[in-house]
Amino acid sequence: MAEIVAAALTSHAPLITGKPEIAKPEQRDRLYAGFHELRRRLAAARPDLLVMFVNDHLQNFPYSNLPAFCVGLAAAYDAPSPGGARLMRIPPRKIRGAPEWGMALLEAGLAGGFDFAYSYEIESWDELSVPLHFLTPEGDVPVAAIYTNCGAPPLPVPRRCHALGAFVGDFIRSRPATERIALLATGGISHWVGTPETGRINPEWDHRVLDHVARAEVEPLLRWTWAEIERDGGNGGQEIRNWIALLGAVPGWKGEVLAYEPVAEWITGCATVWVHS
Amino acid sequence: MIKTSYPLNKVLTAIARQHATKERLTDDELAGHDLSADERAALKAGDIAALYHLGANPYLIRRVFRPRFPI
Repeated sequence: MAEIVAAALTSHAPLITGKPEIAKPEQRDRLYAGFHELRRRLAAARPDLLVMFVNDHLQNFPYSNLPAFCVGLAAAYDAPSPGGARLMRIPPRKIRGAPEWGMALLEAGLAGGFDFAYSYEIESWDELSVPLHFLTPEGDVPVAAIYTNCGAPPLPVPRRCHALGAFVGDFIRSRPATERIALLATGGISHWVGTPETGRINPEWDHRVLDHVARAEVEPLLRWTWAEIERDGGNGGQEIRNWIALLGAVPGWKGEVLAYEPVAEWITGCATVWVHS
Repeated sequence: MIKTSYPLNKVLTAIARQHATKERLTDDELAGHDLSADERAALKAGDIAALYHLGANPYLIRRVFRPRFPI
């Protein structure tokens, strides 16, 4: 039987690696230390596959075609592409995908009430590249990516994202294979990007999120509306859907916050969280 | 209430895909797009707040009008 051997939540932002020098050194060092500790724990769990809950930033899905949930079937992902590498200042590389695993999830979803969209070609940005730069520097663990619409409202409601994660968790545990699966959700926490409030961060809301996660209290997160998240967490805070989906896959698991830094220069409330039973 | 303008997002997506950032858009760049007078004026002025309130997606606003953001 396949097994979930690790789970983690992190923020993603291109400036985390793209402009390390503009952040306050102590904030940068504490956040990087959180990523390094996550890497250590993840490596110790020896995963065969990293299932990632992430979101597009309108680089793939335009307003002519916007899936709520999309399973990546790409053979490989840019993490990052040569263009992204210049922006994020990390070397371009390809990370192996897991199209057969993705296809199995897709078919299970169609049979079980989740009609995922799918894509064989995904242009990945910081949602994969930045966390993977820290967490799998060798690039040796293949990735299965599940994209949730967090950026082009109307968005799937948090409760549905949680149900999606629960479905993925059940799917993993129902696999006859002896796969060791690590889960990783990236995005959030609060940030305002491209709005008139660009640069705002709301540490109070971020701590509320982290406190709920630490206590395995998902219900309060599931009650939040789009408008409440937009008000308190900003448009970037909508990415909390990825975290909520992951938490759905591992009911009862709690978060251990390894780092939280509201980094004004990176316009993001940045966290790394280890999730455990 | 979610306000979104497909004409604005369509033109911003087209410009974003050219991988160029802009201070403002020109009549040439807006040719063939079915925009309201307010939308056209906001795009030509590079008025990021007006674009947001007219229903442009903030991620697209930031990609196209990056030089307009102080941070």
